[in-house]
Amino acid sequence: MNNNNKYREWYKLDNSAKIFPEVSTRKETNTFRVQVVLKEVVDPDLLQQATDSILERYPMFKVRLKTGFFWRYFDYNSMPFSIEPLNHMVCGGLSPKDNNGYLFKVFYRHNIIAIEVFHSLADGGGAYMFLKSIIYEYFVLKGYDISPDNMILTKDSLPTIEEYEDAHAAYYDPKNHKHMPEKKAFGIKGTPISGDLVGLISGTVSTKKILNLARANNATITEYLTAIIMETIYITQIKYREHLKQNQKPVKIFVPVNLRNHFPSKSLRNFSNFIKSDMVMNRSDITFEEILDLVKKQFKLGLQKDELIRKMSENFAFEKNIFLRLTPFHLKKFVMKLGYSLMGLSLNTMSFTNIGRVDFPESMIPYIDNISAAVYSGKFNTLNLGIASFGDKFKITFTRSIIETTIEREFFRKLSELGLDVEIESNYVEVYQ
Amino acid sequence: MKTCDKCHISIETNQKYCPLCHQTLKGKGDPSIPEVYPEFVATRREFLPTTKKILLFLTITSIIILLSINLFYPDGTLWSFIPIGGILYFWVVLRYGILSKQNIAFKMAFLTTILIAILNLIDQNYGTHQGWALDYVTPFALLACNLAISMIMWIKRLNYRDYIFYLLTIIVFSLIPLILFWFNVIQIAWPSQTAFALALFILLFIIIFFPKSIKDEIKKRFHI
Repeated sequence: MNNNNKYREWYKLDNSAKIFPEVSTRKETNTFRVQVVLKEVVDPDLLQQATDSILERYPMFKVRLKTGFFWRYFDYNSMPFSIEPLNHMVCGGLSPKDNNGYLFKVFYRHNIIAIEVFHSLADGGGAYMFLKSIIYEYFVLKGYDISPDNMILTKDSLPTIEEYEDAHAAYYDPKNHKHMPEKKAFGIKGTPISGDLVGLISGTVSTKKILNLARANNATITEYLTAIIMETIYITQIKYREHLKQNQKPVKIFVPVNLRNHFPSKSLRNFSNFIKSDMVMNRSDITFEEILDLVKKQFKLGLQKDELIRKMSENFAFEKNIFLRLTPFHLKKFVMKLGYSLMGLSLNTMSFTNIGRVDFPESMIPYIDNISAAVYSGKFNTLNLGIASFGDKFKITFTRSIIETTIEREFFRKLSELGLDVEIESNYVEVYQ
Repeated sequence: MKTCDKCHISIETNQKYCPLCHQTLKGKGDPSIPEVYPEFVATRREFLPTTKKILLFLTITSIIILLSINLFYPDGTLWSFIPIGGILYFWVVLRYGILSKQNIAFKMAFLTTILIAILNLIDQNYGTHQGWALDYVTPFALLACNLAISMIMWIKRLNYRDYIFYLLTIIVFSLIPLILFWFNVIQIAWPSQTAFALALFILLFIIIFFPKSIKDEIKKRFHI
């Protein structure tokens, strides 16, 4: 790559990225993990080499967070990046002062290669592209005969502008940004795990079988699992206590939507929105069918193009406001913090990230065993869910910031009742200390 | 592979209980297979906690002693504020100079600014020969800071990106003593003139030799 063709050296934070640095703490880390398990033990030296070489291809990741007079920005990071052995923290905080300023981490342990990414940098879609590229380069260094098949960005290709633009700006509609006020959601209460630790319980089931189950109910996997989760929350947290005040709040499951599937964008940064299920569960006779019907209806409405653009523009209008733009950063930070504490987290009961089926080129498939995703859990969203599938391995990963495992237990018991063989993994956070 | 006959799940672990229901697992584990997720390793370590407590204890007691002597045996001045200022500056140096992970240019610019502020406060309120802080200390401290940051940038070229903003700030500050001289606040000219001359020299050097880095830095810092 010659010097004239050099990529830009700094980037504005994209629209959804702006909020995260202001509201992230050690408890609310706003990071997520994507993990690939290989069929062989990972060689750390080669992984380090692979990461170094691919970072040049992903200039958006080779940055540190800096504060300007009006906004924060990502500045080129000249420090070296180093991979780490996986530690006990799941989605721990990424302080801009540690880690040489990098806002992501690459971990290895036995067969596992995992990356944890601060949400300002990229969303799940962007992070997966990055992890795929690392693994591709790793296999190349290992000497395997593989080809990218146009599914993977390799270190020899050149970064393009579309990968780094703020895709929200491209699809923003200035006429369609009405703000819709929302009610606070029901929150799952429990005993906090001390020391900001996060518990992880992951279950593996057969992709084929769960797909058949969803189809038998005329639903997609996301709709079907959302309904199961809502029923589980209802049974374990609300049923027979419907009259209590805190149980009048609606149960809302927040499901991120990858907008790259809805708009032709190649962005590697944040480009996602959400759909939500929303149901007040203050009756004693709620059935699964009733929940599933409602979820299907609400997701269908939420996925309409108009609605997606409205939600995107609602946030983007904030950035367009000239008075806000000209406000000095520290004042803006205060406003953002206030706004977020008033209406951010408490609007969701739980977030449910569906990465979906992860594709790899045919030639790489024999080396990979399974893939999973996890999101952080904090003070209000005490339990979150991430799913991903690879081949016939469908991984359902719960992360929690409370000791209680009631919902996970009932959820997996329900899956085995439905005839699925469930294999569990856990980080056994209870024995930490 | 172990199983839990209550939850009907299987799990590969050497732990004895089911992570879902916390009841005993059935079956035998294989100790040769490592756990999927790692053990707990304490990572966050407080920096010298006992030393910090001793220092804090000494600081608070000495401030109280100084204040009490000063107030119980009054001699018309609040002289105790001078050593107290010194002690507080020590903490600032510890917190922002030594323990902070900020880059060195920020540390120097920040500590110099605080030092100048403290010394000027002392000068304004005490002493027989007033004006020394503004006349001599302020310009020379700025000059030293200017020189230090530029030298570090010169030696560690790679990091000019991170440092240039603080250098620019200190250069702008260096213009202040000369302005004060124009308004007759400062009586002695040559320290301010020296500081201003060096600042101007460095500024011109950057503008002529690295025009792009200055432009980029301003664009970055002030983008709306």
